[in-house]
Amino acid sequence: MSEKVNPEQERVGVYVCHCGSNIAKVVDVEDVATWAADLPNVEVSRDYKFMCSSLGQDLIEEDIKEKGLTKVVVASCSPHMHEKTFRVACERGGLNPFMFEMANIREHDSWTTDDEVAATSKAKALTNAAIERVVHHQPLEQLPVEINPNTLVVGGGIAGISATLELANAGHHVYMVEREPTIGGHMAQLDKTFPTLDCSACILTPKMVDVGQHPNITLLTWSEVEKVDGFLGNFTVNVRKKARYVNEEHCTGCGICIEKCPFKVSDDIFEVGLSERKVIYRPFPQAVPKYPVIDKENCVYFQRGKCKACQIFCPTEPNSIEFEQEDEILSFDVGNIILATGYDLFDVKKIPQYGYGRLANVFTSLEFERMVNASGPTEGSIVLRDMESTPKSVAIVHCVGSRDENYHKYCSKVCCMYSLKFAHLVHERIPEAEVYNCYIDMRTPGKGYEEFYNRLLEEETNFIRGKVAEVTDAARIPEEEGKLIVQVEDTLIGRQRRVPVDMVILSPAMEARADSKEISQLFKMGCDFDGFFVERHPKLDPVATMTDGIYIAGACQGPKDVPDSVAQGAAAAARVAGLINLGTVMMEPVRASINQDECSGCKICNNMCPYNAIIFHEDREVSEVITALCQGCGTCVAACPSGVITGAHFTNDQLFSQIEGILWDVRPEKVTA
Amino acid sequence: MAAKPTFSQEISNLLYASQGSPLKNCIQCGTCSGTCPVVNYMDQTPRRLIGMINANLKEDVLDCNTYWFCASCYHCTVRCPAKIDIAEAMYAVKRYSIWHKTYSEDLVGPTFSETFVKTIINNGRSFEPVLAPTYMFSMGIKEVLQEAYMGTQMMLKGRMPVLPTKIKRLDNFKKVIRRIIPMGGEK
Repeated sequence: MSEKVNPEQERVGVYVCHCGSNIAKVVDVEDVATWAADLPNVEVSRDYKFMCSSLGQDLIEEDIKEKGLTKVVVASCSPHMHEKTFRVACERGGLNPFMFEMANIREHDSWTTDDEVAATSKAKALTNAAIERVVHHQPLEQLPVEINPNTLVVGGGIAGISATLELANAGHHVYMVEREPTIGGHMAQLDKTFPTLDCSACILTPKMVDVGQHPNITLLTWSEVEKVDGFLGNFTVNVRKKARYVNEEHCTGCGICIEKCPFKVSDDIFEVGLSERKVIYRPFPQAVPKYPVIDKENCVYFQRGKCKACQIFCPTEPNSIEFEQEDEILSFDVGNIILATGYDLFDVKKIPQYGYGRLANVFTSLEFERMVNASGPTEGSIVLRDMESTPKSVAIVHCVGSRDENYHKYCSKVCCMYSLKFAHLVHERIPEAEVYNCYIDMRTPGKGYEEFYNRLLEEETNFIRGKVAEVTDAARIPEEEGKLIVQVEDTLIGRQRRVPVDMVILSPAMEARADSKEISQLFKMGCDFDGFFVERHPKLDPVATMTDGIYIAGACQGPKDVPDSVAQGAAAAARVAGLINLGTVMMEPVRASINQDECSGCKICNNMCPYNAIIFHEDREVSEVITALCQGCGTCVAACPSGVITGAHFTNDQLFSQIEGILWDVRPEKVTA
Repeated sequence: MAAKPTFSQEISNLLYASQGSPLKNCIQCGTCSGTCPVVNYMDQTPRRLIGMINANLKEDVLDCNTYWFCASCYHCTVRCPAKIDIAEAMYAVKRYSIWHKTYSEDLVGPTFSETFVKTIINNGRSFEPVLAPTYMFSMGIKEVLQEAYMGTQMMLKGRMPVLPTKIKRLDNFKKVIRRIIPMGGEK
């Protein structure tokens, strides 16, 4: 920043891009280019069909060499798209890559209007702003940042497991943090997986065991991330490891404590309230890790100070039950973070006309999943709420809370397929039962999915095309007595139907985790209105986020089935592995610096820096920015009362010229001259 | 000069003040028809009526009785996943039909609606003894006697006024009405 640029001597090349017809359709690009040629400092001004093509880039390169350009402006698309392309072109031509400025006349101009005159005038303003800014640009050198080879994976569902195993198998260390006492996530609760109907546990548990035993994985279950500091390559994470009250080093997982515990409570998480579990429990037999956990809220010892049955009967030496255990805060450094926090199921009580909670035999999909699961509360038999009678007819209601402006606008993507799977399972377990699938549209895109739909048609499931209006127990005719009546328009025949059934299964929407907003703030990345995490680009960068070093995988990004979640987990792992293999990455040299001679030592900037990158020299009474830690956010620049902090590439000269440039048509004459 | 609006545009113009989504947003899910308590009396379900409006099937829409049978319970509007104000759409078609006089002579609905609205405008509230005769004569003699008997009983119990009653500050109410319905003539 020491060498002063003399704006008078700069020779700027201006390139206006047609972007096929994307820009040229609305903006008169030839006019902009001819107009710009007469502006001060402009050495050459051209328009070209596609500036990003190799020919377009060659144009810049040749002009730099032949006409001695010192600065380059390209008026085209968003810097997100092609800033890097053109910087590299400048570098090839022999210029410092930061001697370049981009004017966005596509996203900010041509795509926003059909008004050709206004669009052309705005394109001139944006181009002029870039020209006046670029003459003040100074050469900068990119900063290398080392990547810590360890990775944090948040969430132990199938997406997290997939990401973790990919990285661990590639030889990198992974910390996996899971909120529940075991990994496995929602997939561990399922019975069969569509469309091939292979047993969910059979394909999931080997992977869970791999995670539990892998030398490269530190598994932290019953734990939550509390604090995240730092940036790409250098995050520091604090994790709260909740007290399990079971010593993991001594416990052998024999399960005698669970057997001997005299108290039972409803298992609302894993068995969704369909059965009970002990107060010291392991969510399911194949849980990883195998150690049980004491539910402090319901434990009689913690509430009343008596019992200790688990401790008395624990056969290990020394005893594994430790009532005095407390939460631990673990702190460790990682280079990258993968979020795979999964989804919640929509609360069907929000739609009262479906009667869940009021009508006993209305079930949610997850309840049904547990019921048909061989290791579930009914050992796989499909029964009504009384837990013994077999239903003779079952209605499956699609789109409960999905595709509905009153709840969630989006399609939850997986419900059609699992509803078909449910229909199949009812046919399989109760061959004489009638099954009704009430759907709005049957959405079965995917390998083997449509074939599965055809299979159900052959199995003689009754398909009713119509969104269920209500489920009621108010009978109108004798045949409806004692039944649940599903009232729906069969839109294919245009008539309202009342279908009497014994059992109704609701297929609720997948929604973002209730605390997804807090999670996105914790990791300093974005989530959308529905609470799903936002990817960097919906098509071309689906697992990265706008925050460098933070990746997302699975249903926390949007409703997703198992194959998609696995693919995303692996994709996120591949991105992280790539960075780890590089070892260092080059970061934008957009950093703040404090003029040591003029700093008054007021310390205002010290506490404001979100990255703790500013230190105060007590001896000289001045502050200084540690360049390696600074992320160039600009907070200190704006806060400094003496105005002696400068953000590289965003200096006052550069910004004020840019503002004046954009206002070229209204500024007073003398400034123009 | 703008092109002549299509039938579906005319109906959506009539819905300009409604809070609901445009009829074009209909996903044909059938929630409205599944919910409707009087759908069994309609010759087309509400969902199909919306489909027919969107397809510009003007004659078919005006020929069917769906909108005249709508009981305005607004149950469909509450449940519609596309947030279409279906009950309001029924009113729009009713108004269209009355203004263009496309309904058949033997239909009770239009006369009933007109009498009802006029009573409200004049008195600020409904008055059954005036309203009842508009539809009573389309019924059999037995039903008429039954209705008359029930009316008398209600009058005797003080449940129905003998003379038309008016609301307080009727003038203010009429000013409100005049803002909503352009009636022409009187100021």
